[in-house]
Amino acid sequence: MTTAAPVRRGQLSPRAKRKAIAGWIFITPAILIYAFFFIQPFFYSIYYSLTDWNGADPVKQFVGLGNYIKLAGDSLLWQALGHNLIWVIIGTVSPIAIGLLLGVLIWTGALGRVLFRTIYFLPVILSEVVIAIIWNWIYHPLFGAVNQILRGIGLDHLARGWLGDPQTALLALLMTAIWAYYGFCFVIIMAGLQNVDISLVEAATIDGANGWQRFIHVIVPQLSHVLTMITAFTLIGGFNVFGIVFVMTQGGPGTATQVIATYTYRKAFQESQVGYGAALSMVMTVLSLVTSYIFIRLRERQEQ
Amino acid sequence: MQNTGAVQEWSRMDTRGPRQSTARDKLLRYIGSSLRYAVLIFFTLVCITPLFWVIASSLKTTGQIAANPLGFPTEIRWDNYIEAWTVGRFGKYFKNSVIISVPIVTFVILLASLAGYGLARLRFHGSNFVFVLFLLGLMVPFQSIMIPLFYILKDIRFLGTYWAMIVPSIALGMPFSIFFMRAYFSGLPQELGDAAEIDGCNEFGVYWRVMLPLAGPAVSALVVLQFMGAWNAFLLPLIYMQKEEIRPLVLGLMFFRSRYTQNYPLTMAGAAIVMVPIVIVYLVFQRRFVQGLTAGAVK
Repeated sequence: MTTAAPVRRGQLSPRAKRKAIAGWIFITPAILIYAFFFIQPFFYSIYYSLTDWNGADPVKQFVGLGNYIKLAGDSLLWQALGHNLIWVIIGTVSPIAIGLLLGVLIWTGALGRVLFRTIYFLPVILSEVVIAIIWNWIYHPLFGAVNQILRGIGLDHLARGWLGDPQTALLALLMTAIWAYYGFCFVIIMAGLQNVDISLVEAATIDGANGWQRFIHVIVPQLSHVLTMITAFTLIGGFNVFGIVFVMTQGGPGTATQVIATYTYRKAFQESQVGYGAALSMVMTVLSLVTSYIFIRLRERQEQ
Repeated sequence: MQNTGAVQEWSRMDTRGPRQSTARDKLLRYIGSSLRYAVLIFFTLVCITPLFWVIASSLKTTGQIAANPLGFPTEIRWDNYIEAWTVGRFGKYFKNSVIISVPIVTFVILLASLAGYGLARLRFHGSNFVFVLFLLGLMVPFQSIMIPLFYILKDIRFLGTYWAMIVPSIALGMPFSIFFMRAYFSGLPQELGDAAEIDGCNEFGVYWRVMLPLAGPAVSALVVLQFMGAWNAFLLPLIYMQKEEIRPLVLGLMFFRSRYTQNYPLTMAGAAIVMVPIVIVYLVFQRRFVQGLTAGAVK
């Protein structure tokens, strides 16, 4: 062991050198598997998106930006993106609003907070396929709870096949997604509420602020970090949503619930348009990266 | 949870107030409190009732479902589970899910804790670059790599084997897990590692004997999260694990449902088989779940 003789000629000490070598050894297994199964396919995605490969031909015909030009004129893509937009708006606002409501109701003094938390979080841990089966059952035209309740209260004319009707299918899927997700927002908001300064809320009470004013002007600003985080999370989730749509409606009826992820899956794996599918997946990549970037900048600004 | 006392104090102040309590105040308080619990209980029912329908339907006969789709089963039929397990091959799929999840969780923890420790504690040239590379992986959705990954797995002959799910899942688990472990290791006191070093531990010894045991809470949170991810994964096995013999539970359930569309009791029994293990893990390790998910969000 070389403990003495510090060799300092702009070089690392033996101990620092040993640590640096150990550092590289520690990181190597993770880097190798990540590089081969994540970074490599990522660059291949970009490459494929510039070809019109069908997944079988030995030659991948290079078409430059051809696929991207085709994307711009693909009405099915624009329709799918429109669905994603609806999804992102309703599917972000509602679960966060519900999570906030429940969080504040419990935080301001309800008994049984652990019990409520346990229950609200339950849907979050379920597989998308299980969630889809549950909600297909709820929307079942004959036996489903929604129609049973409507008939029970005499609103027979409103009962319908919720997932089979292009008018309601997307909203029905959204309800499912909200159900499966608000518990997540709630738990994160509860954690954020632990850091809210009670004295400010008390001060506002003494100053005569009513419940709503205290909520909007005192509690919400202190939660801004947490709210930004969940919004980013939910937006990205909404751009990439796949499982619930794929299992419940497969994008149908017709293309009434097609979103970009199901459309990409169809092109790449069911219609063997690998090049075009890769270009579609690049659209999702860009949406996710841009959203992440915006929110990282927002967070930096909040921290200043 | 440190604020609990203060919260209660605040709410007491808010509701009882220093003023003299009049009958009107009492009434308002009563209404407020009832409304509060009404909302909380409404959402409790919204969460639980659908799960009740799964269990209830899984114990009915097809005839009972038609006659009484939403109520309790009049006569409990466990045979649905036996049939799903054997005829529906859920036993096989269950085994597949275990075979797939165990190595995923083990290797994600091992590789990510090593890398996280390296990045947090062993400063080396390029460590920042490596960390940013992993952070970028947090922003890239699986859909960005799913297409070429299919052909890579085909080329190395992983398709049609358990490896097609195990190895990519480990890679996909790296960004979050490394981020998570690095943050935890950074927060541990440096002196402990130094002391072990003086006692003659090498770098690996410090990590394995001192730091990893100290990171117990982070490791168990990660185990629970990764297990949930592996057990519930859908898109990945849908693309890479289509072969019937190697399907995990979730995928088996999807194909089962499309084959037995009209057999609701069996489908529900299948859904319950998928759901129950994860619910049990959740109820036992609740705190770890919540810690894992809220880590980073609240900082």
